[in-house]
Amino acid sequence: MPKHIVRLLALVAVFAIIAIAAKEFLIPASFYQYGHYRGAAVAEIASKIPKLDGSASCQSCHKEAYAEWVTGIHRKATRNDVVQGLVIKNGPNCEVCHTGPAGNHPSKEAMPLSIEDRVTTITHKHIIHPADVPGRNLMLAAKDMQSVCLACHEKLEARPKAQPQIAVDSHGGQELCTTCHNPHSPRVNFAAVPRPPYDSITGNAIPVSAFKPGDAGAGKSVAAACAGCHGNAGMSVNPEWPNLAGQHAGYLVSSLKAFKSGTRKNDMMSGMAAGLSDADMRNVAAYFSKAGCGVTWGDKAKALLGKAKVAEAGCAACHNAGGLRAAGAAGISASQAWPNLAGQNAGYLGVALKAFKDGSREHAVMSSVAKTLSDSDIDNQSAYFASVSCR
Amino acid sequence: MTIQDKKLEAQEVPLSRRRFLGLLGKGAACAGAIVGAVGAGSALGAAEAGSGKHAYQQNDKQYAEAVNDPPKIPEYNWNDHQWAMGVDTTRCIGCLRCMEACKMENSVQMDANHNRTWVERYVYLEGSNTALIDSQADPKNIANAGSETKFRFDNRYKDAKVEKAFFVAKLCNQCEHPSCVEVCPTGATFKSKDGPVLIDTTYCIGCQYCVQACPYGARSFNESRGTAEKCNWCYHRITKGLNPACVEVCPTGSRVFGDRNDPESPVSLFIRNNHVQVLKPEMGNAPNVFYVGLDKEVV
Repeated sequence: MPKHIVRLLALVAVFAIIAIAAKEFLIPASFYQYGHYRGAAVAEIASKIPKLDGSASCQSCHKEAYAEWVTGIHRKATRNDVVQGLVIKNGPNCEVCHTGPAGNHPSKEAMPLSIEDRVTTITHKHIIHPADVPGRNLMLAAKDMQSVCLACHEKLEARPKAQPQIAVDSHGGQELCTTCHNPHSPRVNFAAVPRPPYDSITGNAIPVSAFKPGDAGAGKSVAAACAGCHGNAGMSVNPEWPNLAGQHAGYLVSSLKAFKSGTRKNDMMSGMAAGLSDADMRNVAAYFSKAGCGVTWGDKAKALLGKAKVAEAGCAACHNAGGLRAAGAAGISASQAWPNLAGQNAGYLGVALKAFKDGSREHAVMSSVAKTLSDSDIDNQSAYFASVSCR
Repeated sequence: MTIQDKKLEAQEVPLSRRRFLGLLGKGAACAGAIVGAVGAGSALGAAEAGSGKHAYQQNDKQYAEAVNDPPKIPEYNWNDHQWAMGVDTTRCIGCLRCMEACKMENSVQMDANHNRTWVERYVYLEGSNTALIDSQADPKNIANAGSETKFRFDNRYKDAKVEKAFFVAKLCNQCEHPSCVEVCPTGATFKSKDGPVLIDTTYCIGCQYCVQACPYGARSFNESRGTAEKCNWCYHRITKGLNPACVEVCPTGSRVFGDRNDPESPVSLFIRNNHVQVLKPEMGNAPNVFYVGLDKEVV
């Protein structure tokens, strides 16, 4: 064989050997084991540690919140539904709302990195997560609750009808969801939900008595003008006019402002409120809120019927009817923005509810509540609240 | 030139073209033989491979060995499972908790455009025959949520006359014939034996051919890792007996997951008891995500 052919063949052989050696060296043993991929990768991917850990893992530390949830409607919705023989788990568990998965808690640094995080090979662009990454803060602040609740419960056209949905404007307006609802157990039943009201600005729990808006001493002189109808000490002379004694100052101020601006209409009150400055309003409200109130008593038979009805109508949610809330006394409202009803004149309560019912007075929540009440319901409930001591 | 001349030329030339080519062929055959001998683990047995399930250059014996030697996952054998998912669009409320949970579970980029799973809203206004479609990545929805990482649908149809509207959750369909695997040049993505299409991130070079190949737009590119990103049905969860994260957090049971080898698993019941559809059946990808309540415009 000629020399140059031998050389050529030798060259081919050398290349072949290099190629084979490179192939043996570079291709991992498990490549082609199951297919055109590295077989060992399957076990590596499977070895990642799950982060979502389920509600049971939350229970170990957050026993109180877990107990609320486990007895509430959110948990009940988590029951296994059987639809056409198909078992469907539905209903939100802890990690639906607290979206930082349990595995990232208490700190992400404590968790082993996932395989994908470890094998970062090329960094094309550095992505910096904004500070509001969900789950950064597992404890949801009350002020964020609106957004969390509405993620599932805002009325959207595309949502199936079976999903409980609310139109925000006609439901609670700007009031926080948590004022009435405990997110762990959102059906409003304060017997099972001993939670204090929240300050709607800071999101912190506040005692009912912490609201001190004005100077009661300065308010006394302003109150003289009110005495003709509402009495010197805030107990009205006519049962169709409201007692002001012991009322939430916040509610009194907002009522006076509403009369002044005309959003609430009453010929007498509009005239009276028109002459008051904001400071006058705060002071007179402070004066009346401190005045001693009493029980006005309604018809006893009606009051008994009314007691049964208030629980059904959901008055308890805001006005704490029946003393169902552990925090605060019966008939004392959860928020400074809402009136106390305990000891209020039955006649006035009836007038107010009927005004909400016929639309002559409007409120985001009360208008719809009052429309569900019959006239006799209104009489009975009014008698009930009149019979409850405000102290 | 006569035949005589040709013979004469052949005698005169020491190595004719014909002879050279012949020798070259023999040389190649020898090299091939060496390849076959040295590369013991990969005998040229393509012809021996009995069925399409065999890996490249794998003979029956090696195939049987691979079946008997499944990936080393504790208390899990991929030969025993065939995973599938069901999505009931009539239950979906568009809360996007699935998306958020997925991003948390799998360290996906937090912005609205890079997702392993997402939700689309289809709205038919009265008198219109075409759907208005938006997702959480719609600029209006991001503006309404106030953050790209909050994932909310806005209430833009509050005052509109809507004839029909619904949400559809989307994710990787874990196709029987995945286009993405076909185009991957490095073997970084592959169809696992129990169903999910996985990514070997150590082998992904970030060329993004798979992102373009997927007919469902289910893949994206993770810029922080430099690799492709896709849903793998939380392979690390399902191999431990857990549900994928999205199924776990779905508050309405719109997502159903299970093993098709088990006739009583949720997904087997879902497929048996409902009239199910898949997305884009005409593509021939044979998806493994089965839908109930799809509409003509959903693709």
